[in-house]
Amino acid sequence: MSDPRSWPGEVRVFADYQHDVSETADVVVVGSGPCGAVAAYELAAAGKRVVLLEEGPPFTPSDFELDGALSMARTMREGGLRFTMGHVMPTMQAIALGGGSLVNSAMCIRCPDYRLEEWAEAADLARTSRRDLEPHYDAIAEFLGIEPTPEEVQGRRNLLFRDGCKALGYSSEPCPRNVVHCRGSGECFTGCRARAKQSMDISYVPAAMRLGARVLTSVRVEELISNGRRVTGVAGRVVAPFSGVPGPRFRIEANAVVLAAGVLATPLLLQRSGNLANASGQVGEHLQFHPGTSVLGFFPDPVDPVFGATQGYQSLQFLREGFKLETLWAPPGVLAVRMPGLGHAFQQQLLDMRYASVFDAIVSCTLSEGRVRERGKSLQPDMRWNFHPDDAAILAHAVWVMTEIFFAAGARKVVPGVAGHPDEMHSLAEAEVLRQRPPRATDMVCASTHVFGTARMHGDPRRGVVDEDGKAHDLDNLYIADTSIFPLSPSVNPMFTGMALARRSALALADRV
Amino acid sequence: MSRGTADREALCWPSVTVSALLGLALLGWALLRATAGYGRRDPVLRQLSAREYALVRGAAEAAFPPGGPIPLSGIDVRIPEHVDRYLAALPTRNRVLIRLLFVLIEHATLIFKAPGWDGWRRFSALSLEQRMAVLEGWARSPIQVRRLVFQGLRAVLTMGYFACPAVLRAIGLAPLAIETPVVDADLLYPPIGQPRSAIRLGVLDRARTVMRLPLDPHGPLQPGFGEPSA
Repeated sequence: MSDPRSWPGEVRVFADYQHDVSETADVVVVGSGPCGAVAAYELAAAGKRVVLLEEGPPFTPSDFELDGALSMARTMREGGLRFTMGHVMPTMQAIALGGGSLVNSAMCIRCPDYRLEEWAEAADLARTSRRDLEPHYDAIAEFLGIEPTPEEVQGRRNLLFRDGCKALGYSSEPCPRNVVHCRGSGECFTGCRARAKQSMDISYVPAAMRLGARVLTSVRVEELISNGRRVTGVAGRVVAPFSGVPGPRFRIEANAVVLAAGVLATPLLLQRSGNLANASGQVGEHLQFHPGTSVLGFFPDPVDPVFGATQGYQSLQFLREGFKLETLWAPPGVLAVRMPGLGHAFQQQLLDMRYASVFDAIVSCTLSEGRVRERGKSLQPDMRWNFHPDDAAILAHAVWVMTEIFFAAGARKVVPGVAGHPDEMHSLAEAEVLRQRPPRATDMVCASTHVFGTARMHGDPRRGVVDEDGKAHDLDNLYIADTSIFPLSPSVNPMFTGMALARRSALALADRV
Repeated sequence: MSRGTADREALCWPSVTVSALLGLALLGWALLRATAGYGRRDPVLRQLSAREYALVRGAAEAAFPPGGPIPLSGIDVRIPEHVDRYLAALPTRNRVLIRLLFVLIEHATLIFKAPGWDGWRRFSALSLEQRMAVLEGWARSPIQVRRLVFQGLRAVLTMGYFACPAVLRAIGLAPLAIETPVVDADLLYPPIGQPRSAIRLGVLDRARTVMRLPLDPHGPLQPGFGEPSA
């Protein structure tokens, strides 16, 4: 067993920066989320000198907060209070070593064949079929130990979903996740204390360091430096954890840059670096989300929801109709916000939470688009996005289907959380109102953590920002490796497909740099 | 200038002056109603002003009044102190947004009257019943923005309520005890804000045996969340 402190690579944290930093590398990777971490590892494995940059700090288990509010304030950009304009919808992006993988539920779902065929047709892609991506999915799955969630850590609240689906003849399956030795603590969203989730900070990033990668945390890239058709490096400031107070400057010169800053930061960095890679005019356009909403169901016997994998079960039954169903658990204080009532009535509802299970639906949202621009000079995004009525109607239908599954599983009441409808429904007959008067977009409490599309991949350089290898059409050595390159919604959780594409980009780049 | 016009102007001046004085007095009264009469700022609080403290306290009591099925009120569990810590953890811009939300709720009842003959008062000055009725109005509003404002306030208060271990215990949702294994990353990263020299774990700690079985849903709770010691 080697001592990680003797590995050729290293990590630097905020306390390490006393002066300005200047380094060189073969490749600098901006962003340590799932896509950036995979790219950094593959490039280091190919023998390249890699520097991986991350604005957030590394979190240790002692830094995790079980308190939902404080956890979000510490791990999410803008304290977890980021939202879109147009249709007002919260959206969350992590700021931590490992990016979203630190605080997501670890779902690794392969993009369905039919959806990738639609990508290919819409974006003139010749090498992005399911068969093309399969080797990359397989390699990542093996590395991270991705497996369906085992039965013994499902907990009753996940299995009730399975039972309800089965009773109605709907398909359902345990969620494949990058988790090894899950213990069913249901704490994925606040950081896995059991160290079972293979988030990037404990998997790909240390593996890259073992191969020599240097990891600089608490550094905020503010500019890509370019000369003609080449980027020559990146520059920015050291920033204090949480407060973001700027410190010394840094500059990394590299033969190639991999931009994996995320769907909202990637286009902003391109825009503020002289509108780089934007001959097509597509940078920052086609902002897309998977809006989701949740429904709570209450059962006659205790469910003890505190035990069980955070999102252990899913149904792909309705994928072609435009939505995916999942089970869900989150810090109880966050879920309780959805409960109806005030005062003593509200407290009575809270006492019922021990009998509760939660399902959620995410919508493919193929018609709803927006755009992202810089908000002043803040490096924070100004997002405009509209929820198309047809997409909202699909989400409304999903609310009905979740209600149906709850009652089929034996729920005694369902709380759909829809304005203008009864707070509680005690039978399927009562719930019929959801079909008779489907809720509108503004009636449902939506949020989204799945974002894509702001630097889309397209075979035609006039219509997209990058090619199928993730290389910017306009530049010789800039690669984009995050879900901003998705030309369309993947209809399922985007992390795994983003990682697969990032791996392909990294392997292509390794041959060229 | 004709004599008639001059007479009219002479008559007009006193009424303009009186109206202006009345207007100023009204403005002064409104400002006084809006800003004066708050208690002193609690020195323990780092973020909340006296006005914000009054609003949060009043709203916490309305959301979680005493004598309910959970024997802990919003005041008992010190929601304002939690909100203070939460604000301190937020980036400046978002802290300002939360503060604007507080201002909106605190002063909306000066324009849109709360139920009762004395409803034209600040939120924090209303009776408990009036405060609950006001919040109910925000929650049930047909206007989405009003509902969002209510949800924002309720999220802040509810997460503060759930931050109390005794509440989680009462509801049966306290976190289960977990022994954390040591992984390579624990030998690489120090706790946030500390230098790498603060890492106390070594290679030998990697071999520490840790229970890998699923948790027992009825097993021991995380220290700090179990029954208080006698």
